[in-house]
Amino acid sequence: MPTTTPQPLVPLAREWLLIAPELWLALWGLVVLLADVAFFRDAPSARRARFLGILALDGTLIALLLALARVVPSPLGIELTNQDYSIFGGTLAADPSTAWLSLAVLILLSLLLVLSPTWDFTDHWGEFFALVLWSTVAMLLLIAAEELLTLFLALETMTLCLYVIAALERDRKRSSEAGLKYFVYGSVASAFFLFGLSLIFGLTGTTRLHAVREALVGSAGSLGLEGNIAGSVAVLLVLVGLGFKLAAVPFHAWAPDTYEGAPAPAASWIATGSKLASFVAATKILAVALGGWAAQTGSPDTPGWALPVALISAASMTLGNLAALSQRNFKRLLAYSSIAQAGYVLVGVVAAGVSRDPARAVGAVLFYMVTYSFATLGAFAVAAWLARDLGTDELDDLDGLGRRRPIMALCLLVLMLSLIGLPPFAGFFGKLALFMSALETGESGRLSLTWLVALGLINSAISAYYYVRVLRAMYLRPARGDVGRSLPSGVFWPLTVGAAVALFFGLIPGALFEPMQAAAVPLLASGEDPRGLSPETNPFATRPTEEDAARARELRRQQIEQGRQRLQPGTPGA
Amino acid sequence: MVPDIPLAWFLLFADATFAVGLFGVLTRRNPIALLMAIEIMLNAANLNLLAFWRYGTPAVGDGPLTGVVFAVIVITIAAAEVAVGIALVLLCYRRWKTADVDRYDTLSG
Repeated sequence: MPTTTPQPLVPLAREWLLIAPELWLALWGLVVLLADVAFFRDAPSARRARFLGILALDGTLIALLLALARVVPSPLGIELTNQDYSIFGGTLAADPSTAWLSLAVLILLSLLLVLSPTWDFTDHWGEFFALVLWSTVAMLLLIAAEELLTLFLALETMTLCLYVIAALERDRKRSSEAGLKYFVYGSVASAFFLFGLSLIFGLTGTTRLHAVREALVGSAGSLGLEGNIAGSVAVLLVLVGLGFKLAAVPFHAWAPDTYEGAPAPAASWIATGSKLASFVAATKILAVALGGWAAQTGSPDTPGWALPVALISAASMTLGNLAALSQRNFKRLLAYSSIAQAGYVLVGVVAAGVSRDPARAVGAVLFYMVTYSFATLGAFAVAAWLARDLGTDELDDLDGLGRRRPIMALCLLVLMLSLIGLPPFAGFFGKLALFMSALETGESGRLSLTWLVALGLINSAISAYYYVRVLRAMYLRPARGDVGRSLPSGVFWPLTVGAAVALFFGLIPGALFEPMQAAAVPLLASGEDPRGLSPETNPFATRPTEEDAARARELRRQQIEQGRQRLQPGTPGA
Repeated sequence: MVPDIPLAWFLLFADATFAVGLFGVLTRRNPIALLMAIEIMLNAANLNLLAFWRYGTPAVGDGPLTGVVFAVIVITIAAAEVAVGIALVLLCYRRWKTADVDRYDTLSG
């Protein structure tokens, strides 16, 4: 019955070109791994780290060029900036959102690869770099996923790579413990998530995000979850899974332990790249696929996912900030800080579900996540430097940094102020955009998310206290002992680029806002098949005729009827 | 071919399996048993997928085998997950000389 038309060669080649950076990076992971085995087997660990780091960085820069070709009009004819494509039978998006976000992820990856070799924390450098590259491939695919199975596969590939790199630090018990804890929490969360996805598949009969959306609401507006038990269970399970990946309270327990125990480069990748990609995926699932279940149109406090997500957001902000107040370890402080930051971003995700202008809310989420990622990566670079030169990463080790390393302290100052959300740094405009998008929902009769925004503002004030503790240690306390040897360039680059990003996009926020707004629109919209004939030319799709569909519906009705009859004696209906 | 068993039975079985897995995760202290419990949870989701696939009709534009393909890929992911999990468990066992997750407690606060 399903007939497939032969694929025209050129469009298919085009699809492969559109995922060239991902393919290249996946291949390059193998190259790095093989180079390690073939050439550096007997070299001392520090030297292997340096060479393989450069090798991995070269590959990433080429991938970056390939990714750039997706944003600028190129001779390949891949002009994506104004197109909204979905490729490979509708499983992946190839539009401005993936193009811009993959650029951000690849730049973060380059900084991470510069940072990693400065500190000789493992013997398994080939594996480390290969896994970092492969986790990045998965992040890029996660950002592009337009379909639940692809999304789940990418999410799992990403976290499986991250579990391993979290445990790679040699000599330290705490690193392997961090890896195992991350693994156990993460895979239980994946199981919850998968169970939720299976229910969504059952309720809608499809796994494509936009088809799910259409199956749930049809042409009607948002319905909410009033009286929909199966839907509520599915949403709850999906939220548990996403909550773990985003490290949102109450699913955050793994984050402080993992961030503290994992070597700083691994922890920074968990806190930045994976979080950025997970937020995009969460936004897609909630605002796109389950958009119809956010809340009833016009009344966001009716049953739906908007309310629980708002509660998770409130809890993450509050608990994350309060727990951060008493931390002595710098990486643990960053962990609680990132939990709180996830709370702020979830405000934007709620807004994306119930706002009149979801694209604006999603744009704010993307802006915030990109600037947050750069700031956090810079802060983790400092943690890596402390661990390398002092063997610890306590907050007290930063004492007197302002006098010993003025430039470094200044960069860290900028990052901390941006994370607090003070103008004129990017964090301020990110928060402003998030909170404004949440207030946008407040029209007559709508539950305005005013309480959430107010809580967010109070929390920003609380968070200032512990970020300022870092600054106080650097500038007001006398130096204790030797604050490290020379400042390696591997630490210098992530730190200064992070500070530059925070400052530049704070002074000219529009430069990042506009691409992110441009990215948000296709992220929410249904992509078109590049051949323009979806699903007719889709080789993977059945094209049931009206007759087939009617027959299938009739058969299904009969099956359900028979099942019900079978259950009749004794048992209540199915 | 008309299936004899109602869909609800499969779903109840899947729910029960999921609950068993979750119970195992929450109570077991041996990391290998934890891994097994996680596998049970994943398989519960597979049961759901297959049952929904068997009893449902594919949406227009979707392939006829979505549920099966999903389940096959989940099985593959589960295998990869166990491989990584066992490696991590072995690493922890080598460092602590014990297979009890409660004893891996250098990190807290």
